[in-house]
Amino acid sequence: MTINQSRWLMVAAAVVALAAGAWVARTMLFAPSATGQSAAALIGVALPDADGKDQPLAQWSGKVLVVNFWATWCAPCREEMPMFVRLQRERGPNGLQFVGIAVDQADKVRQFAGEIGLNYPALIGGYGAMELSKSLGNSLMALPFTVIVDRSGRVAHTQLGPLKEEQLSAIVRQLI
Amino acid sequence: MRCPSTSTGSLPGRSPADRPAAIARRFAGIGALLTALALAGAAAAAGPKLLPAEQAFRLSARALDATTLEIRFDVADGYYLYRDKLKFAVEPATAGAGVPVLPPGKVIEDEFFGRVATYRGPVVIRLPLAAGQPGGSVSLEVDSQGCADAGVCYPPQQQRLTLPLPRAGAAPSAPVDASPPKKSYFN
Repeated sequence: MTINQSRWLMVAAAVVALAAGAWVARTMLFAPSATGQSAAALIGVALPDADGKDQPLAQWSGKVLVVNFWATWCAPCREEMPMFVRLQRERGPNGLQFVGIAVDQADKVRQFAGEIGLNYPALIGGYGAMELSKSLGNSLMALPFTVIVDRSGRVAHTQLGPLKEEQLSAIVRQLI
Repeated sequence: MRCPSTSTGSLPGRSPADRPAAIARRFAGIGALLTALALAGAAAAAGPKLLPAEQAFRLSARALDATTLEIRFDVADGYYLYRDKLKFAVEPATAGAGVPVLPPGKVIEDEFFGRVATYRGPVVIRLPLAAGQPGGSVSLEVDSQGCADAGVCYPPQQQRLTLPLPRAGAAPSAPVDASPPKKSYFN
């Protein structure tokens, strides 16, 4: 092997190593401490909607459930929600159900829901909702935080920070 | 043939390929390098590790004299605080907390919130006390809310500090760090 060839091999190996490290970080670190766990703790809760009516999450059992913890004071949360609205419209008939849990006040939630034409339930959570998200892997208790539950009630994915549409679509496609 | 035991490098003209020990050393070196690169790749992909709110927005305060509190946030790199979310309250109310002197901050055009002022790095705020008692103490409550550039926001948090007020003519009191925050979640 010439020195040039081995140098190129080293470069190629270095690139592969970098990419492998990046892949491991994406799949192992960002994903989901709670993946594979039962989502019973989440499915078992009932929270009031913006009109004050209690909504048990169990009513959506058997669907692919995307539970999004958000707030009106959280710009990255507001930014991704119109995409959720669109996916709810497009994939809802196939069994996809978004549920928002707002760490916020009901009047602010109602106003924002009107602004973006929210077409999925916006439940109102407080400190308890943050604790709930923590038990699902949101150790920093920051927003947005999203939990995807498969039809059998297991956590398929959790994510702190915004979801990219292609990423969410790929996950949903596998679960539907 | 020379083959320094301390190096796995490949100087031109050296060919250690026929020597198993040299090959092993060389591969150990390559392995270590690749491991380091893999870790670097992992770190790059994971981005900066997100900090808990109390570390991202470190709060301390001191009394410069009995009628002036100096409040300081050290905002970590990649994080910012909203100026209009900062609120201050002082007990006892008889200390007479006035209007805080907030630096203008950096005004950004937010897609949702319009023009908002934000703070990065160190921020120093002065809060006048109309009737602070020299040699006494006050309890300061600070509400704040901020986000990380990585695309997450932290809930509004409320922190409380107890600050001794210097006696007349004495030097400013030592800065006091905020205790762990008491979450409030609502504005």
